[in-house]
Amino acid sequence: MRYLFSILWKDQSRIHLLWAVLGTMIGFILLLSGIHFYDNINKVLVSNKDLLDPEYIILNKKVNIGRTLGFGNGGFSEKEIGEIEEQPFTQRVAPFISNEFPISAFTRSAQFPNFYTELFFEAVPDEFIDVKSDQWSWTEGQDFIPVILPQDYLNLYNFGFAQSQGLPQIPKEMISMVSFSVKLKGRTETATYPGKIIGFSNRINSILVPYDFLTWANNTFGYLEKTDPSRVILVANDPTDPAIISFIEDKGYDTIRERLKSSRINIILKFILSFLVLIAAIIIGLAFLIFLLSLQLIISRSADKIRRLSMLGFHPREISMPYIIVLLGLLATVTGASLLITSLLANIMTRQASVLSLDFSGKLTPLVYIVSIGLVFLLFILNGTAILLSTRKLCR
Amino acid sequence: MNFRLEKLIPLPMADIPNRKSDFWEADSFTFQQGKHYLVEAASGKGKTSLLSIMYGLRKDYSGKLFLDETDAGTLSIKRWSEIRKNQISYIFQGLELFDDLSAIDNILLKNNITGIKNSDDIKRMAEQLDIADSLAKKCRFLSFGQKQRVAMIRALCMPFDFLFADECFSHIDRKNSEEAMKLIIDECASRDAGLILTSLGNSFHTFENRILL
Repeated sequence: MRYLFSILWKDQSRIHLLWAVLGTMIGFILLLSGIHFYDNINKVLVSNKDLLDPEYIILNKKVNIGRTLGFGNGGFSEKEIGEIEEQPFTQRVAPFISNEFPISAFTRSAQFPNFYTELFFEAVPDEFIDVKSDQWSWTEGQDFIPVILPQDYLNLYNFGFAQSQGLPQIPKEMISMVSFSVKLKGRTETATYPGKIIGFSNRINSILVPYDFLTWANNTFGYLEKTDPSRVILVANDPTDPAIISFIEDKGYDTIRERLKSSRINIILKFILSFLVLIAAIIIGLAFLIFLLSLQLIISRSADKIRRLSMLGFHPREISMPYIIVLLGLLATVTGASLLITSLLANIMTRQASVLSLDFSGKLTPLVYIVSIGLVFLLFILNGTAILLSTRKLCR
Repeated sequence: MNFRLEKLIPLPMADIPNRKSDFWEADSFTFQQGKHYLVEAASGKGKTSLLSIMYGLRKDYSGKLFLDETDAGTLSIKRWSEIRKNQISYIFQGLELFDDLSAIDNILLKNNITGIKNSDDIKRMAEQLDIADSLAKKCRFLSFGQKQRVAMIRALCMPFDFLFADECFSHIDRKNSEEAMKLIIDECASRDAGLILTSLGNSFHTFENRILL
């Protein structure tokens, strides 16, 4: 083998190979850091679900002057809901239902100042609700009504109202201890139940009661005219689907823009990263060609020697070995160096991200290793086969 | 191993009119292991073509060639390389040495495949052929006659059933040629191998079989 090496690698120009190695390395680093970055961003988005929560989208119709004056309908008709349901991006959709009778709430407690307010309730099916609680249910005859308030309400109280009025801030856990009564007023009969706040929703900006409760209460007490639901909640297959935004805009619907912003960020990010991956793929492809061509050049320069070796009884596979070993060495170097540089870059990224209080991992994600090993294996197989074939062609 | 040729003619030879050669015209001819053959002819009569075909380097022939009972046309590259490692050794007319390697490295390149000779054996052969002093030199600095002897020693550094020697004494003086012939005959005898030697026709050794092309 020593002799084969010195015969076949003597006087060979290695500058082409060096370029090929450099090119492959740049391609690898771009690709691997792209993957690492993408994976981390995805993890951040997933772990901040309560913040972004993109797949649940609440739609309402825009409030305009015409509606204020009583023209047009502010609610979603059954036809419109059916249309939303038929959109390819929609997984599930449900309208909000609301009370069809007056409701009021009041407190009589020593710890809290007394208050009285008119109130509304809305309900959506349980699967759309982000608060998980075993108290979230209703069976007729139950002795309290579970209520979910928007997180924003609590924030508004704690950071706005309580602060300015000199009232105590209330932690989430204490809220359930606040006792208040809910009065349901039908046309003829009324009923009073204790209410209990069992949680706060980030997702739905409304005063929620269990769906079963509200349907029962509407049947029992309802006498006001039934109106179309003013809001619908939908679960999107892919919340980053740009079709959602254009559908909403076409129909003149409205949604909480902030929520869709994350999906916009996601779209832009995906676009940039897929562009990066594309560039990396092109670079790797070109580098692969240079690799292939320089190996072919080296082999054809050695054509006489290869023929001679085969005349002495060396099998094409044995003759290819010096080339394949060098190839393996080069690819291993490329992979090792790229992984090293990528993890350096990942460290820098982590430091930059922590400034933005994003929690990136300094450790490369497993996918980076899988991709680099898979790719290097592919390159090895392709180049190795090319070497074998062209050596074999020269043998007699 | 025996070679059997059935109406075998290299294609370039087939076109030559009035070949007048009993060998090419024969229906069948067998080279038997253990026997020595001298193939004599003027230049361009197909000596090297014959050996190249029998060594698997050339496929441009009509008729059939059998290695024992196997049709040579059916042998794979893999099988040929095994044959060239263990069954047929060839002292090429063009030598096919690597100029960048030293003489000894050229020999070891072949010897290391089977490890049949040790360094003493090689040294003894080199001394017998009077090139022991040149072993460390790169081949490019050797004369053609010296190279011929290096190629000869290399060819002897493998097991074989047949040795092909293609005009291998052309640039060696009489005395060294006789030594070389002796070495070749001894090596063939120790392996019970056959020998096919080609010559332009001024042989100094009597062969049991002479073939005129």
